Amino acid sequence: MSQHLIILAAVAYLVLLFAVAYLVEHTGGRVSRLTGSSLVYTLSLAVYCSSWTFNGGVGRASQSGLDFLPIYLGPTLAFCLGPIVIRRMLKISHAHRITSIADLIGARFGKSGGLAALVTIIAVIGLIPYIALQLKSISSGFAVLSASNGTDVATKPVLTDGALWSAIVLTIFAMLFGSRSIHPREHHPGMVVAVALESILKLVSLTLIGLFIGYGLFNGFGDLFSKAAAIPDIRSIFAHSPDRYGYNWIAMTLLAMVAVFCLPRQFQIMVVENVDERHLNRVLWLFPLYLLAINLFILPIAIAGRMMLPTDTDPDNLVLAIPLASGYPVVALIAFLGGLSAAASMVVVETTALSLMVCNDVVMPALLRVKALGLEQKADLTRLLLWVRRLVMIGVMGLGYLYMRHDSAQFALVSIGLMSFVAVAQFAPAIIGGLFWRGATKAGAFAGISVGFLVWVYTLLFPSFARSGALTMDFIAHGPFGIALLKPYALFGLAGLDPVTHGTFWSLLANIACFVGVSLAGRQSPVERAHAAMFVEAVHPGDAAQIWRRTALIPDLMSLASRFLGKEKAASAYAEWAAKRGLDARTVVQADTQTVLFYERLLAGVIGAASARVLVDAIVEEEPLGVDEIMRILDETSRVIVANRQLEEKSRALEAATAELKQANDRLQLLDRLKDDFVATVNHELRTPLASIRAFSEILRDHPDLTLGERHEFLRIVIAESERLTRLINQLLDLSKIEASGAMPRADAPVDLASIAHESAAAMDQVFAASGVVLRVEIDASDAYVLGDHDRLVQVLINLLGNAAKFARAGDGKAYLTLSRVGEAFELAVGDNGPGIRPKDREVVFERFRQLGDTMNDKPQGAGLGLAISQRIVMQHGGRIWVEESRLGGALFMVSLPCAPPKGRQPKARQTQAATVS
Amino acid sequence: MLRRTVRRDRMVGLFAAGVLLFNPPILNLVGGTIFGWPALYLYLFGVWTALIVAAAFILESGNDNEERR
Repeated sequence: MSQHLIILAAVAYLVLLFAVAYLVEHTGGRVSRLTGSSLVYTLSLAVYCSSWTFNGGVGRASQSGLDFLPIYLGPTLAFCLGPIVIRRMLKISHAHRITSIADLIGARFGKSGGLAALVTIIAVIGLIPYIALQLKSISSGFAVLSASNGTDVATKPVLTDGALWSAIVLTIFAMLFGSRSIHPREHHPGMVVAVALESILKLVSLTLIGLFIGYGLFNGFGDLFSKAAAIPDIRSIFAHSPDRYGYNWIAMTLLAMVAVFCLPRQFQIMVVENVDERHLNRVLWLFPLYLLAINLFILPIAIAGRMMLPTDTDPDNLVLAIPLASGYPVVALIAFLGGLSAAASMVVVETTALSLMVCNDVVMPALLRVKALGLEQKADLTRLLLWVRRLVMIGVMGLGYLYMRHDSAQFALVSIGLMSFVAVAQFAPAIIGGLFWRGATKAGAFAGISVGFLVWVYTLLFPSFARSGALTMDFIAHGPFGIALLKPYALFGLAGLDPVTHGTFWSLLANIACFVGVSLAGRQSPVERAHAAMFVEAVHPGDAAQIWRRTALIPDLMSLASRFLGKEKAASAYAEWAAKRGLDARTVVQADTQTVLFYERLLAGVIGAASARVLVDAIVEEEPLGVDEIMRILDETSRVIVANRQLEEKSRALEAATAELKQANDRLQLLDRLKDDFVATVNHELRTPLASIRAFSEILRDHPDLTLGERHEFLRIVIAESERLTRLINQLLDLSKIEASGAMPRADAPVDLASIAHESAAAMDQVFAASGVVLRVEIDASDAYVLGDHDRLVQVLINLLGNAAKFARAGDGKAYLTLSRVGEAFELAVGDNGPGIRPKDREVVFERFRQLGDTMNDKPQGAGLGLAISQRIVMQHGGRIWVEESRLGGALFMVSLPCAPPKGRQPKARQTQAATVS
Repeated sequence: MLRRTVRRDRMVGLFAAGVLLFNPPILNLVGGTIFGWPALYLYLFGVWTALIVAAAFILESGNDNEERR
């Protein structure tokens, strides 16, 4: 068959696939809804069947019968545990926006960037042989089909090397599918549908060839098997034998069981590209069914090949060689396209997954740490991300190609593929342990994965180098430096296993031992423990977010997100989130913990959990960790403490209120008693003059014989007592008026205290002269204007002067009246040389009817209302009255009144006059 | 919730059965040919089919009611 035709068919096929993918991503309607179906999900999962299945499986079957089958029985068994393992993986990965297997392991163990990078590097190293395998299969298929001798690929000039061209074409293909744009959850619907289509083609192609061989070349499969049974070599493969399958079979089953979710491409399709968790139930049986269907004809094809073709045919090319040898090149072309599908889908998905991992977990964290690049300030990093991924794809394919050129010619496809399986199986203990064992620590995972990987390198990778001549064969035959115990295929003398089983045993043993041992011996940091709880108990990350109280400003988060996602996608993602939480996207500026977590996961979907954490942490204010149960308990306690404190405060306030009430009560009781006293005193005060008036009036009536002098004297007393009574009643009325509402008539006119002082002193002249007391008046201030009522102030002063006259020492009584200005007030002072007032009485003298001294013995020298009235008048003038000791030894009454404002004195006066006139 | 647990347990049982039937030593009990077909081929694909059918029954039963809760 001409090379051009083959190339044309291959390119046309790839273009068709790309067209389908493009349609899916760019048109709405039925085509784009394809991704949402469980059937497409199942078919895309069949990316598991690479060209290794297609060509390598047949090759293996032709050599040793059914022992290719554990590679497919393993996933079937693993999917039986799907409701437990895969469901949890899906739930957790969706909740945390995990985008790769490295991300999952890194996120589980405290969002550890180092662990994710380790996993990524191991995945790349482990999978390069696998990618090389695909290239080899395509190029040798191409060689077989174009009828050249395909066993000698390595010696051909590079330009005619089919592997190089297929590598280039597949790289471009992968870049077109896997890194065309940045999507927040790394969904590639176009790629998924294309892969599903390829899976159909793989199945159809292999089934067609099986039927073609069974019914075209033989008379049904019964005929085929009975003819095969006639050949002793083949019969012996199926003969009954009690120890045909042993550790190798078990090891392969185990490897396939873990590979089906540890392979980056499987994780990508199964977890990352999953759009609906409900698909899982169907996929759990539909995918094994696909595996069964695609394997149904492998054994018949292999046996037919073994019977029909010369023994020196490369077993990996049987699928192509049989139709060619029997003269059906079109069937061979279909077989080639089937193999191409298998290889292309595997390479595309695997490089996409690897490029994501390398970009997110190795390159970006490194670039973001290099301050000199200034990535922190770059506004839009989506293009950078895409180019990093494309470069990684090119790098991975380049390495695969180089490995193929130098190594793979010596190996059968299945052996290479299994080597990769062992490498990725190193992730299984950390993943399974991480999902189901709380005690798994980051150090344990680190130790397990790295030690397991080192054992893998030693027992499988180095020997593969030795076989290809990069190391001496002595390394395999006698061990390094001739130490037999360290022979890589028989470590510590463990012989009798094939290399893969041997490597699997030692690497997984070392891995699990280190993982469990270090985890048990070590201690988890609080952050790790929180993550463990989140993963193992499948706590919703929103709940767990309460552990970290982190806040940030929305604009900061938004600009960060738009740098990696692009403005529109970031904005629409946030709008959706805000709508879901009922926030107003335009007004909320402060992001709470939940929103910060949302952004972190949004970013994690693009650049991986570890990088996202670093980026978000840079702009987030993290309050001191209240990390795990202990901290939560502490939290509870502190809440109790706060409550306690509040309770204490309340009871203290209550006590204060009680004390106040008590005080008020005491005061009320005092007032009550004073009121009683007042009534009694008023009664007494009113009765005394009334009694004397009545007594003298009766004397005047009953004794007409009184002298005129006596009559006059008695009448004078009656009049004086009546006057006293009138005064008393007036004062009482005054007092009650003042006390009732403070509504005492008070003119706001400016009055001169100096003239008031003179006036009052003059008015009291007679009184002082009568009681023999000398009054000295000292007026130190002129223009002593205050605002007030002239008559009331005179009343106050007369009252005070009257007291001074009354209480001054009998015989040589002295009193004085002074007026002086003190700051913004005028002070009137009235002092005497009487007995004075004891300090404890200086407050109470202003109470009504409070007369000092013993009222029983001394004749009361007044109603006891004067000072009370004076105090109220002064207070109404905004002044103060108090008692001191006078310089003469007696009492000194001080009255302080505020100065009238200098301006407004005249206008006010005029206003008052005007008011009076009208 | 109960149904989900039941289903999970059944799948685990299926897994255990598969592990036993697909691996030595039981696997090595099968050999020779039946009606000219390799017995091992028939055995493996037969058990495999049975396993998938059982899984389909377990997983699809009451699927809708439960998943649309």
